[in-house]
Amino acid sequence: MSRPAGPARPARPGKPRDLGEPLRPQPQTRRSLLVCALIGAAAMAAVDEIVFHQILSWHHFYDRSTTEVSLLSDGLLHTAELLGLVAGFFLYADLRRRRALSTAHAWAGFFFGLGIFQLFDGIVDHKLLRLHQIRYGVDVTPYDLAWNAAGAVLLATGSALAVRAYRRTRGRPRRTP
Amino acid sequence: MTPAHVHPAPFGAGVVGPVVAVAVLLVAAAYLLAAARLRHRGDRWPWPRDVSFTAGSAAVLWAVVGSLPGEPFTAHSAQHLTVAMAAPLLLVLARPLTLALRALPPCRARRALLAVLHARPAQWLMFPPLAALLDVGGLWALYRTPLFAAADEPVVHALVQAHTLAAGLLFTFAVCQLDPVRRRWGTALRGATLLAAGAAHAVLAKSLYATPPPGTAFTTADLRTGAQLMYYGGDLVEVGLALTLAVRWYVAGNRLAAGRGLALPRRGVVQTAKE
Repeated sequence: MSRPAGPARPARPGKPRDLGEPLRPQPQTRRSLLVCALIGAAAMAAVDEIVFHQILSWHHFYDRSTTEVSLLSDGLLHTAELLGLVAGFFLYADLRRRRALSTAHAWAGFFFGLGIFQLFDGIVDHKLLRLHQIRYGVDVTPYDLAWNAAGAVLLATGSALAVRAYRRTRGRPRRTP
Repeated sequence: MTPAHVHPAPFGAGVVGPVVAVAVLLVAAAYLLAAARLRHRGDRWPWPRDVSFTAGSAAVLWAVVGSLPGEPFTAHSAQHLTVAMAAPLLLVLARPLTLALRALPPCRARRALLAVLHARPAQWLMFPPLAALLDVGGLWALYRTPLFAAADEPVVHALVQAHTLAAGLLFTFAVCQLDPVRRRWGTALRGATLLAAGAAHAVLAKSLYATPPPGTAFTTADLRTGAQLMYYGGDLVEVGLALTLAVRWYVAGNRLAAGRGLALPRRGVVQTAKE
């Protein structure tokens, strides 16, 4: 198996065993993408919570029209956001310490996550579940359009970055599992 | 319902308060003595654990005998957060069981402790989803049945408090799994349990924002402040639990690599085996 060019391996003639594993593992592209998508989605959820709920107070903590299903989905998403941030950060740190992080895929995944959460929040939470609206007391349509357009742009950015990242790595030998 | 009827403040009024206070102080003193004994014989026992245990004990003490700020329901929320969530995390992080097993000489007490730990019911209780069910299920029962209104009775109140603390300790113990127990559960199961329990807690807090516990009459503002305190305070403790899990997972990865004779790559130096 070919190995990426790295510092010369010191000769160790007296060592009893050769571990034979790749000492500098090749980047784990898919894992890099997924882990950073998790971080992106959780970060977007946190931004939503901090900016729109806390700072602007546009969203309401609890909308009277909230159904039980929406409440459940909201509780799950909120907890998943917190745990996702923690888990994502540590998974990322693990990729880095093993030198298995592919930066290009990581960025692609991050934007993917940002866009997916924004779109999910805009379409499922705000419109389908009607958990809360972006703002109250005004015509909400332009806000909805801007919200979902922002999500679509982020998602498109993520896709473009992913295509570029996979093109870049195509020439390299595949990593054996 | 009179305000005094809703709010039995301070919470440990009557005989219960002093008894709990003495018990908490005794447990804390025993922990510190055991830690000192370990250090005296030359064992390592990191001091942050002493700090954590002391802080956890102080939190329980404060919530039981002190008077908490705010209106009745807000004060109740603060007490719930302290007794059922924050204090258990602080106490469990101090690894009290590890300390007990190391400090006790091979005597009857130590054997009894091990026998209890290894008993089948204890093993079942330490199954993370069951521990979570007992903890969060008890909470739902408290707020969504007439139990909350009945907890005005000092005895019922003390029992509810004791259950919250015990269930909180059990849940934190099972999810963090810091102490040596025979049956170990994987990070994924414990993480999923934490997610489910956190979601149930968040849903309950949000529903309390809109609907008070049956049979109570709190003002709307009080109810809303209390519910939000429960929601965001719960988040803080959940993040603490998640960090505990994540740090353990990360460090275990280091150990795994070291155990296979593979040091993790550092600063571009290629290493083959443990130096």
